Amino acid sequence: MNVTWLLAWRNLWRHRRRTWLTVGAMVFCNVLLVFLISLQLGSYQMMIDGTLSAFTGHIQIQHRGYLQDQRMRQSVPDAALLAQRLREVPVVDSAAARAEAFALASSEERSFGVLLTAVQPHYEPRVSTLPDMISQGRYLRASDAHEIVLGSLLARNLKVGPGDEVTFLGSARDGSFAAAVATVVGIVHSGMDDVDRNLAQVPLGWFQRVFAMGDRGHAIVLRVHHLDQVDAAVAALRAALPAGESLVVLDWETLQPGLRQAITSDMASAWFMYAVLIVLVAFSVLNTQLMSVLERTREFGVMLALGMRPSRLARLVAMETGLLGLLGLVLGIALGALLTAYLGHVGFTYPGMDDMAARFHLPARMYPRVSLLSLCWGPATVFVGAMLAALYPALRLLRLRPVAAMRAA
Amino acid sequence: MSSISCHNLCKTFRQGDEVITALDRVCLDIDEGEFVCLSGPSGSGKTTLLNAVGALDSPDSGAITVGGRRVDNLSRSAQADMRLHHIGFVFQAFNLIPVLSARENVEFVMQVQGVPAARRRQVADQVLAEVGMAGLERRRPAQLSGGQQQRVAVARAIASKPALVLADEPTANLDSSSAAQLMDLFVTLNAERGITFVISTHDARVMAYAGRLIKMRDGMIVADEPQQPRAMGA
Amino acid sequence: MRRVVPVLAILAWRNLWRNYRRTLIMLLAIGLGVWAMIFMAAVMRGMTDEMVRNGLHTLPGEVQIHQRDYRRDPSVVNSMAPPSGALLQALQQPPVVAWAARVRVPAVLASERGSRGVTLLGVDPQAEAPLGSLPQELVAGRFLSGADDRGLVLGASLARRLETGLGKRVVIMSQDPHNNVADRGARVVGIYRARLSGTEERFLYAGRSVVQDMLGMGGAVSEVAASAGDYRHVAAWYPRIAAAAGADLEVVSWTELDPFLDTMLGVQDGFSLVFMVVIFLALSFGLINTLVMAVFERIREIGLMQALGMRPRLILAQILLESLFLLVLGLAAGNLLALLSIVPLESGIDISGVALGMEMMGMGNTLYPVLALRDMLMSTGVVVTLGLLASLLPAWRAARLDPVRALNTT
Ligand SMILES: Nc1ncnc2c1ncn2[C@@H]1O[C@H](COP(=O)(O)OP(=O)(O)O)[C@@H](O)[C@H]1O
Ligand SMILES: [Mg+2]
Repeated sequence: MNVTWLLAWRNLWRHRRRTWLTVGAMVFCNVLLVFLISLQLGSYQMMIDGTLSAFTGHIQIQHRGYLQDQRMRQSVPDAALLAQRLREVPVVDSAAARAEAFALASSEERSFGVLLTAVQPHYEPRVSTLPDMISQGRYLRASDAHEIVLGSLLARNLKVGPGDEVTFLGSARDGSFAAAVATVVGIVHSGMDDVDRNLAQVPLGWFQRVFAMGDRGHAIVLRVHHLDQVDAAVAALRAALPAGESLVVLDWETLQPGLRQAITSDMASAWFMYAVLIVLVAFSVLNTQLMSVLERTREFGVMLALGMRPSRLARLVAMETGLLGLLGLVLGIALGALLTAYLGHVGFTYPGMDDMAARFHLPARMYPRVSLLSLCWGPATVFVGAMLAALYPALRLLRLRPVAAMRAA
Repeated sequence: MSSISCHNLCKTFRQGDEVITALDRVCLDIDEGEFVCLSGPSGSGKTTLLNAVGALDSPDSGAITVGGRRVDNLSRSAQADMRLHHIGFVFQAFNLIPVLSARENVEFVMQVQGVPAARRRQVADQVLAEVGMAGLERRRPAQLSGGQQQRVAVARAIASKPALVLADEPTANLDSSSAAQLMDLFVTLNAERGITFVISTHDARVMAYAGRLIKMRDGMIVADEPQQPRAMGA
Repeated sequence: MRRVVPVLAILAWRNLWRNYRRTLIMLLAIGLGVWAMIFMAAVMRGMTDEMVRNGLHTLPGEVQIHQRDYRRDPSVVNSMAPPSGALLQALQQPPVVAWAARVRVPAVLASERGSRGVTLLGVDPQAEAPLGSLPQELVAGRFLSGADDRGLVLGASLARRLETGLGKRVVIMSQDPHNNVADRGARVVGIYRARLSGTEERFLYAGRSVVQDMLGMGGAVSEVAASAGDYRHVAAWYPRIAAAAGADLEVVSWTELDPFLDTMLGVQDGFSLVFMVVIFLALSFGLINTLVMAVFERIREIGLMQALGMRPRLILAQILLESLFLLVLGLAAGNLLALLSIVPLESGIDISGVALGMEMMGMGNTLYPVLALRDMLMSTGVVVTLGLLASLLPAWRAARLDPVRALNTT
């Protein structure tokens, strides 16, 4: 056994209580970091999945400028055919064409401005989870039927239910007056007020006739198998698009810029807390190691007198800190993983969370998920912080002179 | 050939406004295999002289050669190497690394010297036996008496086979019988291995062991004469 | 006991500085921790205030009065007569500082190029102004001059999407009380910008009498909004308005109108407290460590004091005092640091880089941290209480030392 490592290990236990308190600080911080980072990464994943699978999809193909201005004439030609062709692209899981228009919806008793979304009844359920959330009646069936499904709050506001008729007034693509009647076939209740207050879906074929769209749509919505295939899919789709048309391929970050930014800003405030914790633990280590170096000045003096180079002493202190940090790392990861796995199993919640969660399409109970990254990132940073903190006490040793050190009180 | 040669060593310390002259034009030659005692009252400059000779500290002026090598103008790392390979030290107290056993204390220095592991163990046990510590190799310093601790320090000092061992008041913290045993050990090592010993002390009983007695006062050598060493164990 | 306190204090103070390096490092750590506590609390307070302000801005008025069914069915059918009698009296009395009656109905706005669903607000600018409910920034044109102004004011992003602009004609469509679609052409006289782009797309302002004429609703209005200045104290006065309004009308405060905002305000202090406790826990290991070391180094001294007749309780007090000095110095440093770092930021931190994300939480693109005495006091409370609790263990161990053995320790 290498005597230097042995020496470092035994030195660590000269003040048991001090060492355990320092390790305790690291373990506390590590457990917290493992838990919080697992929670964070887990909830971001859920936030992204929740938002994208509800409606947006991973990728959309739109006319250039439609995302900003949503003008009726910024349309995608041959939408259904294009969707059909894109389903053949290998990375694409599913694709569906959509179109949108604002209209004044009137029932017997009420009138509201609504955003009509035209969908392909057969393909829409494969790109969006909303069709599965029918609480009354059924989802749309044929592409040409004059049917409509409404969000539950919108239906309540219009005072309609399945079987009732709703009249639409709006302007068609060519600027002419568009008017039609559709029968409510189903009510969607998602639990997200925003969705339930605004959702109004009609079949694409019917919509194209009413709003003089020809065979045009406003977007092709696509899903890929995995979120991390999005970049590859975007590239493949750009290549597959007919040349010359002013169509653009938009990934989810472009479609939902708020999502990425919400994650970024949440991360920023989380990092602030992590940084503070890590710095505080580093201070703890600094204090411990400085004390341990100062109280051994005479001993170090003797070692220098025996011909030890100061750099060797510095290395010894670094080794001691390394062992200390390793102990905190291992215990922290172990306990952090246990705690996180347990809470990942039973889930947890805190006051105010359900309101907050609903805004990001999250369930009201959180289930942190342990991953290699969430396990190692925090503890590894704490370890590095501890090593950096030991730099000062270790470097002090380089200036130590044997005679002065041995005379030290 | 002379083992140690000092010429006109001067060393001063500042303590606040006061300037203390710790060494004042010291000239000294010690031959190989000598057994020298450095005596004098506390503060007379013994430690400062030993430190200078042992390449622990540099004099303000003057020249020192040890074993034919100049040590007064070496770089810090060259000084360290000199101590590591050519000079053995025994101090008054705090000699041993408290968390290492007797054997590990001896081994540790050899490890720094780069001695291979197998040989380290063998040499450590051998020198520990030589200083009368056989069977106590696994004890930690706290489990050893003061005299035993100093023996381990001696074992550590001679493990690298230095030609010179410097001991600064090695018996100051020992009771008289332990002190006598330690001095006997020094005398034996001097006789059997031919190691040069320079020992500082202000204990008259220790001085009696020396073949040459140097007296210091106020940083100056005031007397330097050979004497008849007292017999072993007497 | 009282007489020894000054001596103990001097002793504790001097002991604190015996190992000045350790004390300074610990002070730095406590100062940093306290700074982080206050800073985080200030940012959170700033965010919540901003969310509530923006939220209140989109539902103007801390207290709203509607016809019973209006909130469930915000239709022109469910309108109410303008305030009169007891209600009018209550609204004209303190603490109410401003009130306004408005028409608020869903509508569709159509230009030559498209149409959008909007919320049409028929307002009386003179009454709304003191409520602070009108757009704060006009990018073009002017605001309505009075309740009978025939123009329209719409948000910048709505104007862009409908490809319309200042001076252009647009058509508003909405339902009249008989469920006929009433429509009316009007000219855009002003374009406003709001903190949240969602607000810009949703709210359309027109003169109140003009809207009432168009919808044929006579003098009726959809809602009456009132404010007493400080939204935090709404619970104190709105029951009086409710009593004056009578059973046919529903009176709600903003806490009921947007429960999310209310929850946010409620949990904000809780979050700050949790954050502070977590930071303190990370600190506490170092604090205990420092005291354990301080006791360890002084075992002989403590033995001596006991031998000289010092009661264990005084030794306990001395160690606790030492800890208290450390904590108070750290608190002072942390609070000072917080003051120095937050006050210059109170004019706003630009977070427009993540503005869309913040908008999902109801925030604008500037963050205004708020340094509140309450947060400073909370951090002081947490640090001193938990700090002394944590110090109890090493202090108690010191007090229980056996003097004879302590004196013989090397
Ligand atoms: N590093 C130092 N700084 C200041 N004064 C010193 C230092 N080392 C030694 N001295 C002073 O130099 C003088 C000689 O000291 P020293 O060699 O230790 O004497 P001795 O070992 O004979 O007791 C003493 O007065 C001592 O106080
Ligand atoms: Mg001396």
